[in-house]
Amino acid sequence: MTERKRADQVGVGEEFEPYEFCVTPEFNQQFFKAVEDYHPRYQQETGLGPPIVHPALLIVQSNITRSPSFHLPPGMAAVHAKEQVEYLNPGRVRRTFRVYWKVVDVYEKRGRQYQVKEALIVDEDGIEILRRRITDTYMAGKG
Amino acid sequence: MAIITKDTQEGYEVSGNLKTVTEERVYAFSGGFPKGPDWPKKNIHTDLEFAQSCGLPTRAASGAMFEGYLTELMIDLLGENFLTEGKMSLTFIAIVDPGDRLLPKAIVQSKKVEGSEVRFVIDVWCENQHGNKVVVGTATGLVK
Repeated sequence: MTERKRADQVGVGEEFEPYEFCVTPEFNQQFFKAVEDYHPRYQQETGLGPPIVHPALLIVQSNITRSPSFHLPPGMAAVHAKEQVEYLNPGRVRRTFRVYWKVVDVYEKRGRQYQVKEALIVDEDGIEILRRRITDTYMAGKG
Repeated sequence: MAIITKDTQEGYEVSGNLKTVTEERVYAFSGGFPKGPDWPKKNIHTDLEFAQSCGLPTRAASGAMFEGYLTELMIDLLGENFLTEGKMSLTFIAIVDPGDRLLPKAIVQSKKVEGSEVRFVIDVWCENQHGNKVVVGTATGLVK
């Protein structure tokens, strides 16, 4: 049996397992309500076309904790430190999206380890929706 | 409707909509979907004990929430084409706890004419009810 690698030990050039999710209107609503952004573009057809997925949903669904291969022992957590995001196309509600992650850098600063990942979200037609460069650090309790 | 036009000057400053990070909104954002019997899922965003077991002093609302506030502000300022060519670079510098109120803000840092379009570089941040910045960075986008 192969033991899963801890997320903080995944190194440069390695990939996390991709994650797939479908955005229903209810799922989208949960997020635009959470960020208090009730613009019609997220709820109905507008000049942009059919309703679109709230960007905050796409961001949180492409955090590394969503990868099926993400694993940390109890008492450890990934904490988001930095972010670069590039919006490429609006995601459409009722579509399925797939997220890919690849570790592109690891470094240490002030005694803390950082891991940099490139993430890409594509929809079911292969349209690129957004790219991210995510820097996470890993926190551990004393236990 | 976009507020920034090609004529907008460097130094132009604007605030977005005041946001209140309630516990219910943090649960909705970070507690998982759909809402089942174990909802909200326990993590550093939703559960104090879990957060402290990981060495955090308190729960920390997801940075993606306030990234969402800034994206909303950029779409308001630059228009919906921000969703096809907008960029943001952010650093998360302070913990946001349920109960905090955040105000997204922006100030035009520079502009550059690119053919018939103008590219704006905008300093962006969110500050809490104490006036402290919790996330800082820059956004870039085109005005056509």
